[in-house]
Amino acid sequence: MNRRKFIRSVGATGVAVATLPTIVDSFAVKALAGGGTNLERLLGTSDRVLVLIQLQGGNDGLNNIIPVSNSIYYENRPRLSIKKNATLPLTDTLGWHPALAGFRDLYDSGRLAIVQGVTYPNPNRSHFRGTDIWLTATDAEVFGTSGWVGRYVDTFAPAFPDVLPPHPLAVQIGTSLSLGLLGPRGAMGVTFRDPDEFYRLVNSGGAIEEIPATDLGDTPAGREVEYMRNIARSADTYAAVVKQAADAAIASTITYPNTDLAGKLKVVSQLISGGLQSRVYLVSMTSGSFDTHAGQVLTDDPTQGAHAALLRELGDAVNSFMTDLKNKGLQDRVAGMTFSEFGRRVAENGSIGTDHGTAAPLYVFGSRVNSAIFGSDPDLVNLDERGDMLMQNDYRDVYAAMLLQWFAEPSSLAQNVLYRDFSSTAVPIFDSTVSVAETRRGQTFGFRSVSPNPASGDVSINVYIDAFEDAGIDISNVQGRMIRSHTVDSFSGSASFNVSDMPSGTYVLTLRSGRFIAHTLLQVQH
Amino acid sequence: MVNLSPRSAALTIDDALHLIRRATFHPTWQLASSLAGQTPGMAVETLMALSPPIPMPDWADDPPEFSDFAAAAKLWPELQRWWIGHCIANVSMRERMMAMWHNHFTSDYVTVYAAMWMTTQSAMLRSKVYNFRDMALGIIGDPAMLRYLNGEQSIKGNPNENFGREWFELFTLGVGNYVERDIIEAARAFTGWRINGLTGVYNPQLADLGEKTILNQTGEWAYDDVVRITLEQPACARWIAQKIIKMFVEYFPEAETIEQVAELIRTNDYNIRPVMASLLSSEYFYSESLRGALIKGPMDFSIGLSSIFGLTNLSPAYVVGIMSSLSQVPFYPPSVEGWKGHRLWINSTLFPSRQRIAEAFLDGREAGSSMRLRDANDTPLTIDFVELVKQMPNYNTAEKVVENVARLLLPIQTSAQQREILLDIMMAGAPTYSWDINSGTAPSRIKLLMQAITRMPEFQLT
Repeated sequence: MNRRKFIRSVGATGVAVATLPTIVDSFAVKALAGGGTNLERLLGTSDRVLVLIQLQGGNDGLNNIIPVSNSIYYENRPRLSIKKNATLPLTDTLGWHPALAGFRDLYDSGRLAIVQGVTYPNPNRSHFRGTDIWLTATDAEVFGTSGWVGRYVDTFAPAFPDVLPPHPLAVQIGTSLSLGLLGPRGAMGVTFRDPDEFYRLVNSGGAIEEIPATDLGDTPAGREVEYMRNIARSADTYAAVVKQAADAAIASTITYPNTDLAGKLKVVSQLISGGLQSRVYLVSMTSGSFDTHAGQVLTDDPTQGAHAALLRELGDAVNSFMTDLKNKGLQDRVAGMTFSEFGRRVAENGSIGTDHGTAAPLYVFGSRVNSAIFGSDPDLVNLDERGDMLMQNDYRDVYAAMLLQWFAEPSSLAQNVLYRDFSSTAVPIFDSTVSVAETRRGQTFGFRSVSPNPASGDVSINVYIDAFEDAGIDISNVQGRMIRSHTVDSFSGSASFNVSDMPSGTYVLTLRSGRFIAHTLLQVQH
Repeated sequence: MVNLSPRSAALTIDDALHLIRRATFHPTWQLASSLAGQTPGMAVETLMALSPPIPMPDWADDPPEFSDFAAAAKLWPELQRWWIGHCIANVSMRERMMAMWHNHFTSDYVTVYAAMWMTTQSAMLRSKVYNFRDMALGIIGDPAMLRYLNGEQSIKGNPNENFGREWFELFTLGVGNYVERDIIEAARAFTGWRINGLTGVYNPQLADLGEKTILNQTGEWAYDDVVRITLEQPACARWIAQKIIKMFVEYFPEAETIEQVAELIRTNDYNIRPVMASLLSSEYFYSESLRGALIKGPMDFSIGLSSIFGLTNLSPAYVVGIMSSLSQVPFYPPSVEGWKGHRLWINSTLFPSRQRIAEAFLDGREAGSSMRLRDANDTPLTIDFVELVKQMPNYNTAEKVVENVARLLLPIQTSAQQREILLDIMMAGAPTYSWDINSGTAPSRIKLLMQAITRMPEFQLT
């Protein structure tokens, strides 16, 4: 049974999923559709994971997904261009760089999406500003001090930093902490290269008596004491948690390539399979830089060279990672995306390389992605004043897809994280997400009736809610895209609206009140 | 508004420690007690006068030419040891200023390639360390910078914008205070420079001296006009002011505070010496709430360990190694933006790494190894714990030892409860009245105390 059919059948039989309560712990505060093919799976607590792969230096997108029938590409890149017959076929007009065979395999087997022309308005061509913008998810003109991942996972830790979640909310495999993981209230993740090394570092000191902090209050010094104490505490707390997960991991039955990125992704797979409940993993490719100003390709073979080696490392590592996850039965829980601070200029430069540019494709991988190309082929005619490509997708349209579709977050939360509402432009990367009841045992909350259902005109809804809480109902399509909202009269617990202007199909109704959320499905039939 | 007026009260030992933690790499009891009792203004003058010359490496004047990569790369560790060794062995506020400017007018040895260009740049900045205008002028024709940001490849008619962009974005104004057009025009004015041996040579014949409009001023501007026009912008003084405040006072200053310091910079026409003198002797600088408000960088941390514990002859190679493992490779900033610093110096791996390094240090060995700490000639070094404590008053009382060692090692005052626990750690079960600085167990007890303090998260603050 495919997923869409499954949702339809649930709706048709009138099962209000929200009436089945789910027990959630205080930190896994959302229960989401896991994407399985049974109701238990649908009601499972959220265990979805996002893996971010940073490609430092500015990945040359035009030499990833080659516009094989565009003569402008070949005219602008006499020495760098890759001949059509050397590419791996993708569409009539696009071909894969041969080094991306790993990605091509994922794409052909329905596990990879390509988002074309990703950047932001007024793109910055500086590495550090560009990187900061991507990590902080701000407009080009805004200097953010916290990362979008940090702001997102911060919402799972209401009592942070006084109470640390039992597992780190985000993990960075590496040595330095990324701005991306800084939340508004401090560092939201842990950073380590290797779980065992991390454990040894934290625990190899002598028997340590805890010396409590002095409370300096909310002063500049007090805030830094607090920051340092938090880092110390999360290192102490999480070294053991991470080690435990690493030790409990399911052994990989495949051999990863012997590369920097593959090694890092192997650790990620190890930790997920060992039960670490981190939401987001961040890894960075540090074996080489994508900043290919010179010597990007070999002079006698443009399919080989420094850039090709990086692409091969990337594609092969992610392919192995996905195979490993599949073998471990984890593939439905994990999605990943690549990002790089910018693409590169259309025209090659004088030193067999390319200079800083703007828009470029990025990749989203996972068993639940819509394997498709989002956006049209690169437009090499209409360029900006520097000879760089124009934006097709704002990078935050991809982040919004992650939050709204993958993590099934409400658009209000996504808006808080991304500083703006991208819900209407979110790229429909994921098939669908339906989040289900979030409630406490014994508490009555949810949809009581939706009638008529299927509907073609007026719909009346009755809900169980606390009479003193404000409540609202959001209507979204099964892609998770919000259509509109209605308020609920909290005293009578009723709402009504008209669906005559909505196309036939399945819609998700989301009831929100206080800290509770419930969902049900509505069929519109004209 | 913060109070920038000079503080008149004589420095206490705690005030003096605060000053030297921020203005030098040598926050020792000895130096602090020599400054205690002076007015802040006098003390700052004393520190600024500490500026021992740094002998140049013997290859510094060699031509920047190498037979192969290995020959060039062989000098890079020597370059690192040259500067870091000087900083370990000498108390010098000038080097503290250099740490800021090296992170401002950045260059890295891999891109620049020839270590002698890096020493040339370092020497140029060092000679102008208290004058921003001179540094800004000097950096334009600096060979390392001409190489690092492609200035030598920038030609009239087809200028390379790399330096022009960073000039405004990172070196002088900050984003939002210029437009893309200014970069293009300034890049034209920056043409004409070539490298000849160890010198940048300006050839007006090669420079684009045509009419250009930069920051709304139109004329036939050359590179020095760009400096003049840029420094006339109020934003330039603000940019430098926030840099200085973040390095020396607090990381999250109010906009108004930045403006106040910027005004000082303007009044003194970018002469930084009087600015530093005013700032470091102001009531603002000595506010209690700002003590401990910065996170030590790897340089503060590692050189601080060697200086506080009296090992100023420690092998520079080991200190370079520590700094590198803590994400600050000397002369190799991650990008032209430099090290971001402050909170990004610390994470769940780097904090326990620092704890282990300090523990091992107090055990007299290198981190993660049983190798003894050594000087540059491989002679093992020993920390004299008793001698360290004997510099402090009341060392015959255990409670006073705890109190003073904590004052030395931590930038914030300890609570009675903290001192009580630390006392327990030091005495390790023995009664307090049995404390005897001359007993055979005193060194190991002091070491236990110091290890406990260096493990505290607060030890990473300054």
